[in-house]
Amino acid sequence: MKVTLNWLKELVDFDWTPAELAERLTMLGLEVEGVEARPAEFEGVVVAHVLARDPHPNADRLSVCRVHDGQGERQIVCGAQNFKAGDKVPLILPGASLPPKAGESQPFTIKVGKIRGVESHGMLCSAGELGIDPAAIHHANEDGLLILRPDAAVGQPLAAYLGRPGADVILDLEVTPNRPDLNSVMGIAREIAALTGHPLRALATAYPEVPDAPPVSRDLAVRIEAPDACHRYTARVVRGVRVGPSPGWLQARLSMVGLRPINNVVDVTNLVMLETGQPLHAFDLRLLGKDDGGLPTVVVRRATHGEDFTTLDGVTRKLGPEMLLIADPTKGIALAGVMGGANTGIQPDTTDVLIEGAWFDPVGIRRTSKALGLRTDASYRFERGADVEAADFASRRAMRLVLELAGGSASAGVIDAWPVQVPRKEITLRPMRVRQVLGIEIPEEQVWRHLSALGLEGPLAGSGAGSRWRVPSWRVDLKQEIDLVEEVVRLHGVDKIPSTPPRGAKGSHPFDATYDVWMELRRLMAGLGLNEAQGQTLVSGDAARRVTPSVLSLANPLSHDMDVLRPSLWPGLMDVLGHNMARRNADVRLFEIGRVFQVGDRGPQEGWRLGIALTGARHPAFWSGADRDAKCDLADAKGIVEEVLEWFGLRGVTFTRQPEPTSFLIESASIGLGPKTELGQIGQVQPAVARRGDLRDPVLLAEINLDVLLARRNVARSAKPLPAFPSIQRDVAMIVEESVTHDDVLAAVRSAKPANLEAVELFDVFRGRPVPEGQKSLAYSFTYRAADRTLKDEEVTAAHQRVVDAFRLSLKAVPR
Amino acid sequence: MTLLEELESAKAAALASLAAAPDIPALDHAKGSAIGPEGRFTQLMRRLGSLPKEERPAVGKAFNAAKAEIEVLLASRRADLELRAALPREPFDFSAPGRRRGVGRLHPLSQVTDDIVRAFRRLGFAVADGPEIEDEKHCFDALNTPADHPARDAQDTFFIDAPGRSLLRTHTSSVQIRVMETMPPPIRIVVPGRVFRRDNADATHNPTFHQIEGLYVDRNVTVGDLKGTVEAVFREVLGNDVRLRFRPHYFSYTEPSLEIDFTNALVRKLGKEWLEIAGCGMVHPKVFENVGYDPEQWSGWAFGFGIERIAMLRYGITDIRSFYENDVRFLRQF
Repeated sequence: MKVTLNWLKELVDFDWTPAELAERLTMLGLEVEGVEARPAEFEGVVVAHVLARDPHPNADRLSVCRVHDGQGERQIVCGAQNFKAGDKVPLILPGASLPPKAGESQPFTIKVGKIRGVESHGMLCSAGELGIDPAAIHHANEDGLLILRPDAAVGQPLAAYLGRPGADVILDLEVTPNRPDLNSVMGIAREIAALTGHPLRALATAYPEVPDAPPVSRDLAVRIEAPDACHRYTARVVRGVRVGPSPGWLQARLSMVGLRPINNVVDVTNLVMLETGQPLHAFDLRLLGKDDGGLPTVVVRRATHGEDFTTLDGVTRKLGPEMLLIADPTKGIALAGVMGGANTGIQPDTTDVLIEGAWFDPVGIRRTSKALGLRTDASYRFERGADVEAADFASRRAMRLVLELAGGSASAGVIDAWPVQVPRKEITLRPMRVRQVLGIEIPEEQVWRHLSALGLEGPLAGSGAGSRWRVPSWRVDLKQEIDLVEEVVRLHGVDKIPSTPPRGAKGSHPFDATYDVWMELRRLMAGLGLNEAQGQTLVSGDAARRVTPSVLSLANPLSHDMDVLRPSLWPGLMDVLGHNMARRNADVRLFEIGRVFQVGDRGPQEGWRLGIALTGARHPAFWSGADRDAKCDLADAKGIVEEVLEWFGLRGVTFTRQPEPTSFLIESASIGLGPKTELGQIGQVQPAVARRGDLRDPVLLAEINLDVLLARRNVARSAKPLPAFPSIQRDVAMIVEESVTHDDVLAAVRSAKPANLEAVELFDVFRGRPVPEGQKSLAYSFTYRAADRTLKDEEVTAAHQRVVDAFRLSLKAVPR
Repeated sequence: MTLLEELESAKAAALASLAAAPDIPALDHAKGSAIGPEGRFTQLMRRLGSLPKEERPAVGKAFNAAKAEIEVLLASRRADLELRAALPREPFDFSAPGRRRGVGRLHPLSQVTDDIVRAFRRLGFAVADGPEIEDEKHCFDALNTPADHPARDAQDTFFIDAPGRSLLRTHTSSVQIRVMETMPPPIRIVVPGRVFRRDNADATHNPTFHQIEGLYVDRNVTVGDLKGTVEAVFREVLGNDVRLRFRPHYFSYTEPSLEIDFTNALVRKLGKEWLEIAGCGMVHPKVFENVGYDPEQWSGWAFGFGIERIAMLRYGITDIRSFYENDVRFLRQF
């Protein structure tokens, strides 16, 4: 909502600077988002009266004039020829500036100076010098000075003569949706009045009625067929208007607050809407259809299903039965509360005007406006809740201004159909409640003063525990006691409530401990060399379905590349890898902790996941070392997963290899806990998929279900005594078939049941000559130790032999 | 030469060669040629038996003494030479970069979230959480924002393409309802989390972003309590020089509702007087009624703000999308 300082000052007195006003309104809850100063036009240019015009002693083309500027006489040297003594002309005084001409950047400042030896105290101006189009102000376009009307007041600022606004300040206010009353100059002035205690000046609404004017009921009938949607409909009629451009002041006022002037009748309805917050509509009465009795009739009814209606903007719209239509007996004439119809708008030759001031149900207007995608200044106000009592007041105000600006004569009286009258609300306010919410004591008389200042009537008689207040019709937001408490604190000032130090109950919530686990996990992952990523929750359906077919879609996505909820952290992490690659970050190690979404048995399901993505160099860059160029591989990803699982205290985790590659992963395994519990997935991305993100090094991904991890977490720790006796170590290197896994080896070891075996460690895997094709060499180190004595060499040899035999037997291994 | 004299000269030669040995192998060699199995001493020892019986103890003693002397020198020379061998041959260049392990970083949003959470926890708040897929009841209706309320306008919502009109929560306030429905008062929680609005991504918008919100419900909770806690939290998050201002505003689920502006040296450096930072208010009695709390017995406040905004201010980040692109050069700065 835009409003100007001068406009507000017409309605209420205050002596704040624009900055002070902005601050006061902001602290009252009416945030001022912008303050823009508009300088007056034609500063220092006044209407002057030419008293005498004499030839210049030293120049043929110049004359020396005596002029009166309203204050006194001055001598001016002038080069124009088109004027004579007695003319009224624009005079620019020394010190003032003319607007820069096209192509010039600096304004031209007038000084007292000598022209050919004669002093000149100012300059008489042409229309061109002032930047005025004479036609636009209905003056003759002459070569020379702009000759003003003979009745122009000497000394009057030219801006005032032209009806242009003086200096003003435009305030841009953010009105919260609960306060429709503030979408009007009057509403804002009312707040200022409440702050200052100064009275609100009423807008003039009286207008002359011709003594024997026919009553409006002979011009028109109004029938409300949907009283639930239209509580009130007022109609006034004026005949014999002359439609034309509005006067300068009105055009200027509308332009300043961002409205386009159209013609005097329409401009008046817009002006009054800005003044009062009540949207009005003007119809050309002659275009209204008549009823059987020949009387033009307004019918307020619901549209029929699929009814076509062309609004003022020339667009034909399909309406539905939930929409309210202003109609005549044969056709729709306005989309109620939203926009008028093209068929009955004010035309250049309109003479008889119907002024509509009505109240429409906010919900209906909002639905209509939304369904049609059509938002107007009127719908904006109606859908937030108009003041039902303002409908007639605003209509009277508009009638006064139409008569003043467009002429004509008003029909007597008004049609005021008001089928649903809702009594004003009454609310009780208990002093205890004010104290309880605000934590301070405000004397009751002061509370009452605040409420009265806002237009509440009270305290009413017969109230018990508190004071009873009647809410003014424009305050649709005041519904219950707590709303009055807010009004009190607004006027009292939030800054006057002292802060009390934090106190009170200690909070608890089951998630509190989980939050800590997630934060600790973040730090663990960072310690493992991974940076934390935060991916988009919304990802592309194509990328998501590459990972899993069960994907939750949005009903109203913004775009194709963000149309589903991530079913896994992988699509987002792949995007991030691709983004980094595009910026030439080839070495990326990331993790993410976040929620993923899936289609569950009982609707959408969400769960926490840890995602891991690695590509590029295994180590940070370094200047020596044999494996400094090593790239991350699946073992790096698995190592990180193992660290996480160990940190969660999980035992017996299995990695089950997916025997065949999928379209997304060339090599992968599911991570499980026992046969039933799935913990996650790990794998290497298909090179063809990775290439789409220009990723050339192996891309490793892992994802772990944190909900399961949290449920199965085992943080109980107990200390075991350190070994007291030495261990004996034996190594085995053997050649086995490629298909033999580490798990197979461990199973063979277990089956051999070697005595006193403490640990088995794989320390080398080798392929290539002299190991035959399709086979590999595995080297294991075995540690034997007894808890109660030093082992003898012979008993270890015997135990170890059982292991080697088991390898030969069950793995077909050939020890080297 | 008597055996004793030979012993003396052999000892002198052995000591000399041990002393002269430049490294461990040379020392071992010198040791071998002196007291090794084929060494000079070993040979001389063998001749001990040829001496008259009465001379043997004296010479034997001399042997042992000489051998001990050699062992002592050997041990000290060995320690010397080992120490010397351990010395680096070239000077270490301490200006060259070390071998790094590449520790990762926490995302700036995680770090800021945790700082805010810590500030709340210090005041007795527990961290709470709720689903990101919500229903209209918890996201709007129970928060006193009925379907046709204009306030829903400002929150353009993503709906899930599934039965039941589920949606992505537009604010963390839905967790207020979830918690109050299941837990009796008093309540003291802080809720960090992801929220979603149907905004196209640009420098100041991302369809996904983070909010954090505090809720306190107890007996006799006042606006003064709200102000006191907000000030305590923001002093911790934004620094002790921060100044706050509360001005009336409108949210459907609080009454009175306030917006919070802050200022500090940073804000003034941006050429502004105040910057909007958070919204807050006293929990609306209707909200209490919706969760079955008696508004005459219990009162409370809620306040919430955007985490990205705090992170952007703190780190001087100008484009919200940087948080979600996860460029490693960006991530490593925090």
